[in-house]
Amino acid sequence: MNLNRYRNELIVLVSFILMLSAFFYKNSQIDKQAQQLFEMKHSVKDFKEIIALKRIWGDKGLSKKIDKLKSIVPVSKVSWSKKGKKLTAHYSNLTPKELNKLVTRAMNLAVQIISFKITRSGDTFNVEFKCKW
Amino acid sequence: MGSNKELLIVHREMHPVSLDHTVNVMLTPQFYTMKQEELPVKYLYQAKKIAPSLFDGLLDEEGAYAYFVFREDDHWVFIAYEPEKIRDFLLTKGIAPEHLSKIFFAQQSRDMFKDPVVLGEKEVLMNIDGSVALVPTGILSEDHETAVFDERFTPRSGVSLSGGSTLINKKETILLATVFLIFAAVFFVEGRQYTKGLQMQEKKMQDLLSSYPSLQSKIQRDSVALKYRTIDTKERHKREIIKTLGTMIFKGVRLNTFEMNEKKFKVIFSCENSKIVKKVETLAKKAHFSVKSGKNSNIVVIEGEV
Repeated sequence: MNLNRYRNELIVLVSFILMLSAFFYKNSQIDKQAQQLFEMKHSVKDFKEIIALKRIWGDKGLSKKIDKLKSIVPVSKVSWSKKGKKLTAHYSNLTPKELNKLVTRAMNLAVQIISFKITRSGDTFNVEFKCKW
Repeated sequence: MGSNKELLIVHREMHPVSLDHTVNVMLTPQFYTMKQEELPVKYLYQAKKIAPSLFDGLLDEEGAYAYFVFREDDHWVFIAYEPEKIRDFLLTKGIAPEHLSKIFFAQQSRDMFKDPVVLGEKEVLMNIDGSVALVPTGILSEDHETAVFDERFTPRSGVSLSGGSTLINKKETILLATVFLIFAAVFFVEGRQYTKGLQMQEKKMQDLLSSYPSLQSKIQRDSVALKYRTIDTKERHKREIIKTLGTMIFKGVRLNTFEMNEKKFKVIFSCENSKIVKKVETLAKKAHFSVKSGKNSNIVVIEGEV
């Protein structure tokens, strides 16, 4: 077959295929970008959440902040045992006001409560608080 | 020379041929009108422009002529030919368009025709004073040398006989190809911009990840997320329980004991009267806690899981 005879058609066909390829290339890039954008948004959201959670529950300054639970009531009422990242604290003869203060402060600390016991003894309370972080 | 394809010389009295391959064709002056002119024209495109005007009055007005121009020594050679008629003639001789590569004009190989080329019994083709012309065999002496016509006669440039069965002419081809190529370029440039955008997004993500090296791998991120999400859910729940139980301590309610570990909790309230007991029970049930209270007793025991 003499291709020269169809030279014009071939030129048009080749340029058309070229245009079509460029069009599909562009569209594939658009799709890719949209997909990547979606994945990125998802990843960034996850990432931010992880960082926020880590800041709360993996706070490196927590060890110092916990010491405030010791000074919240008179020293004579506290038995304090902090080993590594674990705390066992015993409080005795707490007034209702002191108990409220202790509970509020303990609840606002980002620690994992292992056990929390409150026992009434007359008009006062005894507390055992175990936590880790 | 221009091509290695077989070169056929075409004249009116030629015998039909049977082809299964592509050939080039050289036309004798029977198929074209030629003019040689010395013109103050430097470039070929300028010469081509004036070609039709040179043949004014010389050609059949109804003919559809095309023009071929080339330079020979210090003058221009203008050739007018009718593609349609040539195509039809070639077909009658068995040269179909699909077997036709290029056509040439005998004048282009002027120097090769110094010795006459025999076309048949009656005619020879030869160079007479710089013009290739058909001459009766009779005027040649019997011992006159003749040349063998073959591919050596093929000139550098020729003409393609386009048209006929072709769907698109040259102008349309140029127009369509230009439009398609412009669109292709636009699409390609746009595609490249999107690619660059993708690369920038990737870089931003990498920058973000590089500020937290411990979270760069997805497995690590998932593991850290699972750990902290579990702690967060559990610890918030514990605090929510303590807060809810706190709302149950009002006037007439006293806390006796409260106990919470990592799995469950238990709280014992003593109430002033049965009315308060009922109120505490209602609040506990509303919070979906399990409530126990003895008959005629003002003690309320609330339990639940963490």
